[in-house]
Amino acid sequence: MATKKKPSSDQGSSSSALDSSRWEVSCFWERRLQKELMSLMKEPPPGVTVDAEGAGQNLTQWIIQMDGAQGTLYEGEQFQLQFKFSPKYPFDSPEVTFIGPNIPVHPHVYSNGHICLSILTEDWSPALSVQSVCLSIVSMLSSCKEKKRPPDNSFYVKTCNKNPKKTKWWYHDDSV
Amino acid sequence: MKVTIKSWTGVATWRWVANDDNCGICRMAFDGCCPDCKLPGDDCPLVWGQCSHCFHIHCIMKWLNSQQVNHQCPMCRQDWKFKE
Repeated sequence: MATKKKPSSDQGSSSSALDSSRWEVSCFWERRLQKELMSLMKEPPPGVTVDAEGAGQNLTQWIIQMDGAQGTLYEGEQFQLQFKFSPKYPFDSPEVTFIGPNIPVHPHVYSNGHICLSILTEDWSPALSVQSVCLSIVSMLSSCKEKKRPPDNSFYVKTCNKNPKKTKWWYHDDSV
Repeated sequence: MKVTIKSWTGVATWRWVANDDNCGICRMAFDGCCPDCKLPGDDCPLVWGQCSHCFHIHCIMKWLNSQQVNHQCPMCRQDWKFKE
């Protein structure tokens, strides 16, 4: 019950005003991210764990633990992925980078954690999700035949913007 | 026996006939509305593309308006054309 007394004629409209403010607070991207967080907690893809507490506190930044898949070059390794979302999500792609002490050594992963993966920029679609991005990254790692950094790693890492979405990527290698 | 109906109340349900339960863009149920709307139904209708994928009209319009060059279906990447 509300503690403030209101004129009885006002009661109907005050409760609907309360409802509408709740809808406004929870806007498009927040509602979708909340749904994604719930489904990622309930049914995570194999080897993928979301830091639900951190994501719940700040929906715009998620940390995801990723295990190297069994039978691949990355078996037994653990990686951390950071997802940052803008209020334009899912119409704008998330900013996804590897962070932490172990950045996978892979021809499409720079030593600063930036990932060259077309769905993260020009091939992004709002039908993609955190889960499908994680699956793409797991499969990108799993198909790797030789652990090595991209050929232009040292130059790129010295000159790039902090935000990998500002990089004009050339996607030329579909083999790994 | 003779029965006299004194009063009656009609009840109806409705649902969108779509090939999926949820909108692939906002992930809300098709029988609900997009996150920007409050009432499902005619105020937040579904639209179909020629590729047969369907979305809340508000969701697909947001996506198409955010794209400068290509207007593609979020699900299959075919050129988006509204089904007549």
